[in-house]
Amino acid sequence: MMPFPQIGRQDPPLRFIALALLAGLVVLLAGLWYVQVVSGKRHLEAQQNQSLRTLRVPAVRGQITDRHLQSLAVDRPVYQVNAYLDELRPYFQQEYRRRRPPGKLTRAEVSALEKQARFNTVSNFVRQLRLPVPMTLTEPQLHWHYTNKLALPLSVVRGLTPAQVAVFMERGGAVPGLDVSVASARTYPQAIAAHLIGYLKRDDSSFEDEDSFYHYRLPDFVGRIGIESLFDQNLRGRAGTRTMLVNSLGYRQSEHMSTPAEAGHNVVLTLDLGIQRAAEQALASVRPDVEGAVVVMDPTNGDVLALASAPTFNPGDFVPRLEAEAWDRLRDPQLRPLILRATQERYPPGSIFKIVTGLAALEAGRLNPAEMVPNPGYFQLGSRSIKDTAAPGNYNFRRAFIHSSNTYFIHHGLQTGPDRLIEMGERFFLGQSTGLLPGQEVAGQFPSPTKLREGWAPGDTANLSIGQGPITVTPLQMAVMTSAIVNGGKVWWPRLVDRIESPENDAINPVQQFPAARLRGSLNASQKNLDIIRDAMLADVEDPEGTGRRAAVLGLRIGGKTGTAEIQRGGRTVDKITWFVSFAPYEQPKYVVVVMVESGGSGGLTCAPVAQKIYRAIQQLERSRSAPAVTQVGG
Amino acid sequence: MFDATLPSQQRKIRPDGLLLFGLLALMVLGAAFIYSARAAHEASALIAWHKQLHFRQIIWYGIGTLAAIIVCLKDYRTLARWSLVFYWATTLLLVAVIIPGIGAMRYGARRWIDLGFFQLQPSELAKLAVILALAQFLSRPQEELREPRTLLKAFGLIALPFLLVLKEPDLGSALMLAAPGLAMFYVGGVPPRFLKRLIGGGAIFALLLVASVLFAPPKWQVLKLEDYQKRRLLVYFGMNYAPANATPAERSRALADQRRDSYNVEQAMISVGSGGLTGKGWRQGTQNALGYLPRGVAHNDFIFSVMAEESGFVGSLIVLALYATVLFVGIRIASQTRDRLGKLLAVGVVTLLFSHVFVNIGMNIRLVPVTGVPLPLLSYGGSSVICSLVAAGLLQNVHLHQKSI
Repeated sequence: MMPFPQIGRQDPPLRFIALALLAGLVVLLAGLWYVQVVSGKRHLEAQQNQSLRTLRVPAVRGQITDRHLQSLAVDRPVYQVNAYLDELRPYFQQEYRRRRPPGKLTRAEVSALEKQARFNTVSNFVRQLRLPVPMTLTEPQLHWHYTNKLALPLSVVRGLTPAQVAVFMERGGAVPGLDVSVASARTYPQAIAAHLIGYLKRDDSSFEDEDSFYHYRLPDFVGRIGIESLFDQNLRGRAGTRTMLVNSLGYRQSEHMSTPAEAGHNVVLTLDLGIQRAAEQALASVRPDVEGAVVVMDPTNGDVLALASAPTFNPGDFVPRLEAEAWDRLRDPQLRPLILRATQERYPPGSIFKIVTGLAALEAGRLNPAEMVPNPGYFQLGSRSIKDTAAPGNYNFRRAFIHSSNTYFIHHGLQTGPDRLIEMGERFFLGQSTGLLPGQEVAGQFPSPTKLREGWAPGDTANLSIGQGPITVTPLQMAVMTSAIVNGGKVWWPRLVDRIESPENDAINPVQQFPAARLRGSLNASQKNLDIIRDAMLADVEDPEGTGRRAAVLGLRIGGKTGTAEIQRGGRTVDKITWFVSFAPYEQPKYVVVVMVESGGSGGLTCAPVAQKIYRAIQQLERSRSAPAVTQVGG
Repeated sequence: MFDATLPSQQRKIRPDGLLLFGLLALMVLGAAFIYSARAAHEASALIAWHKQLHFRQIIWYGIGTLAAIIVCLKDYRTLARWSLVFYWATTLLLVAVIIPGIGAMRYGARRWIDLGFFQLQPSELAKLAVILALAQFLSRPQEELREPRTLLKAFGLIALPFLLVLKEPDLGSALMLAAPGLAMFYVGGVPPRFLKRLIGGGAIFALLLVASVLFAPPKWQVLKLEDYQKRRLLVYFGMNYAPANATPAERSRALADQRRDSYNVEQAMISVGSGGLTGKGWRQGTQNALGYLPRGVAHNDFIFSVMAEESGFVGSLIVLALYATVLFVGIRIASQTRDRLGKLLAVGVVTLLFSHVFVNIGMNIRLVPVTGVPLPLLSYGGSSVICSLVAAGLLQNVHLHQKSI
């Protein structure tokens, strides 16, 4: 359709006007094209920039459970009352008008009055709820929130019980702008195995492959030590994003979840809560502020059933933040509660190393268990005299073992020679870390074969034979060692995490299983020799003369070895590290219990009773667990 | 000639359909987007339907259409005879509006006379009055237009209301009087020599004005502009408010002022631009709903921002096409009419509408500094709607009553 073919043919001025109009419209069209199409995207971004606010919403953190799926660390819902400032805004204005005195006000007066009006409105509304909990909000908090996070709801009453939530639900409808919301807080319901579970530290920052830019972030935490830290990636899940539309004043207009958070995965440990608790209680019973560690391991596969360290702490203290007082206690230079003594500290093994010396001598074929070795009460090595706590007399292997005779084992250690001793120690991977808790584990020390060529004296061999000198171990290493003795020579990689599973448990998130019974090496020792040591350990507990007799439990045949390592400084004994390594039941070992106490009396007096308590608890647990199983079979 | 009734029956001229279509479509869009601009605010839900602005705008459309029909009843030549009466009556109103007590003060200017039910804006009437009076005056034989005295009189016809409107102050509306005036001079056959001088003089004046506002130190500014006008110019040219020798405190205050003043323009740009090619959908625009586009102007001076955001470039194109239809039908009417009065009237109306469209849309995309010039038929406002429709009625009148060949 051409409605204007002839315009102004005969009328140049009119034609000029028409062309001018056309030109003007074309200019507008070009301008609009430029603004809306060419640079439209930039303007759209500008528009979103000023009106969209993003909020990082952390996911619910995964649980940490023991092998029977009992929660050790879990996110618990926390109820709070939130104020929605956008809904309260008309009431702020109302309150302001009510309070405003007539006449002209300065800008400062107006803003002070507005602040008061806002706080009054909120606290009035909260009062109307008549909750038995006081309002946690203060006026400066409200003002800070108002200026910085206007678009976000503001928590006004924290820590509501479910009953109080119900009260709110009844009354809340009548009070505008307030609503209950659920947040989650990390809790450690058992307050147990703190070093192992770890704790959280406030950290709201984005993680890899997350959006790095957010206007606001809800509080988030990152694991610091233990499982919380090692499996932080699995536990934390993926944070979500909530997008809010705000108006020109910054009030929230609407919001929607643009990316929902994905809940974190659960970590199932090999730990047995019952045994862990027994171990911690037994350890704590030694004395107040005891410094020590307990490891309970399944010798058939290397699973860690309990890993206790004293003194301990409550991981719950770190959430939402650690109080200064608690922090001071954690930093105590003597107690060092944050140290996991089962893996993170080196201890001289003392007499428990006689197990290794004995096995090396037996394997070398130089030791006849029945042969008597005379003990004058000390061992004379050149000009040095090494005292023996065992009474003077003649000792065969069994007697020497249960009395922990230094003379006997130094004699046989020297007979066997240092290279065989060191070679046997290496079969137990002494001096190497077990890899159980990277960052919380030390390797310990063990002389290397090269060390032998650099000025090794018979005195060093004598020291090594009785677990003194240049050798330090961790209780966990001793548990691995004891397991290898009683399981026929298998040295395991100890295992703490059984599996990681998603709460949904679907095809996209398959269960990640960590295999049990990972063999690290073999002792290649004859079963006969292993049995000799096993029998000697049994005798140590069951023989009335045995140093470990205080570990005995009725109805459970326990084998063990005590140790008391002296820490000497300048020729004087300054401290004692006491040990008890043990296993049970004798017939079919299922538990290895290693107890270590710093500054104890002796292995037999201090540590064996701790092991006894643990075995009793294990006995109880086994009975209670098998009882329902029997009814099930019967039913 | 032979039979008086026959030719008139054969040549019975109907109102121009295309023009009617364009006007109707613009009115529908106007009502729809005023509704959209207002409905986004919570408060609007509480207002009774008959008090809501889109409804009132429809009433204005009705009144305006009625007025346009009335205008069409009488031959424009008859109407033109009354043009001077209308002109002087309007001039009287323009004088009245700047007298405190009669003119209502709003936003620092006296532009309205409060009639209770209606806020009369005499400058809108003045636009029509000038076109009518000037058309009547210039329609005399072309030879007379060469005489300086006649030209001076014609110039005076524009200058008087121009200065009065400027006094309100309302520079935008004043300039809206000048544009059709110039076009009518040109089409009416005023000697080009005179026109050149007029345009040249105006241009030099404007240049001096702008230059003095932008660059001259305060003492040297002989030509006084209102403060807000100065600021709009500064914003338009992206100049710094703070003088070069300002103290830091002055500078920061000036910066804050500048942010506030450039806010409207920036938000209008963002609105228009974020509409993109196809827009966000009717009533889906966020700029207005969230209050970034100030609520006071979204439905009147900045209605185009709302439309452009919600309907995108496609919508802008449609709006421009509708205006183009109206404008070029006007040009066609001007070219078809045989007498100078009709042609001058048509040209006046067309350039009046065009300059409104150009300035209003231009200010939304920063082609033109911000002025309070409404978008014909789309912006909310009784005076503007009625005057636009009466102007369109004049076009139809010229079309209906054109002299037979």
